Amino acid sequence: MGYIPLGTVFGFLFVQAGASWWLAVLASIFVFAGAAQYMMIPMIAAGMSVGTIALATLIVNLRHVFYGLSLFNKLPQGRLLRWYLVFGLTDETYSVVTTMPEESSHNQMLLVTFLNQTWWVLGSAIGAVIGAQAQVTLVGLDFALVALFCVLTVEQWRSRKSARPLWVALAAYPVAYLITAKHALLVAIALSVATAVVLQGRANGVAQEKTGD
Amino acid sequence: MIESSYVLGVIAAMGTVTFVLRALPFVASRWLHQHPIVSSLGQFLPLAIMTLLLFHSAVGKATEDPEGPWPELLAVALVALLQWRSKNALLSILVGTGVYVLLRNFNALGTGLLAA
Repeated sequence: MGYIPLGTVFGFLFVQAGASWWLAVLASIFVFAGAAQYMMIPMIAAGMSVGTIALATLIVNLRHVFYGLSLFNKLPQGRLLRWYLVFGLTDETYSVVTTMPEESSHNQMLLVTFLNQTWWVLGSAIGAVIGAQAQVTLVGLDFALVALFCVLTVEQWRSRKSARPLWVALAAYPVAYLITAKHALLVAIALSVATAVVLQGRANGVAQEKTGD
Repeated sequence: MIESSYVLGVIAAMGTVTFVLRALPFVASRWLHQHPIVSSLGQFLPLAIMTLLLFHSAVGKATEDPEGPWPELLAVALVALLQWRSKNALLSILVGTGVYVLLRNFNALGTGLLAA
């Protein structure tokens, strides 16, 4: 049920940006990714190219690759069921499924995913219909995206194994911003990946030296 | 009004990218599991990327705000504190955004009155 109000905010902002209400519902059915959908609003309002928006979606949702890796054996083998669960692997679904007991049935997983999406789509529709009634000109409503990223950062921080990714990211961003303010995000991500690879390489080197003794 | 055919294209592209990312581990699991670097990136990247997205979006808002970066810093700190304490995403987002909207609009009002 928690998904209804978040969907409502999405639907409302989407329509306020100047797109048709039914497109908000369609986005929630076929994209079904909260952060990426919040992100698309200012981008379609600015008329950015489909390629740019696809690239931004890739960055925002890259973490989902790692969700699947840790759930590989937990998901059912049946084709249709499995692919729907894969499709619906949002942050919310992932956090619920990983905390479900081992013996939970596949039908329970399906129910969680399906209900999450139903509330999300329903919320989007409600928000979109409300948003279509009146134009609100309040500066700063799109801060909701920043707030959502902040919430997800806090949750990633809560489940962290090490604080390093945060410090590396905080160091990488100013460096990237000095190199290119326009593409700071992409450059900072590249710098973070490179740092992660180097750190991993050094950890391996140390481990090998130890076993070599 | 934003052209609906353009938005449809965006939705199709975003849906495809998102599904491919979620499906990748199930299609290429053997390959991905063979490489230790993948699992170490899996522990590293989600927090790093989310921190960067937060930073990038907050900096973006601060640069378009004549009073920036104080309203942004305050609102982000508020959201982080609320989320850390309550674990309630809706509460954190609504209160944070509400406070930010107030800060932005009341500041504008204040400056307007001063100018008058």
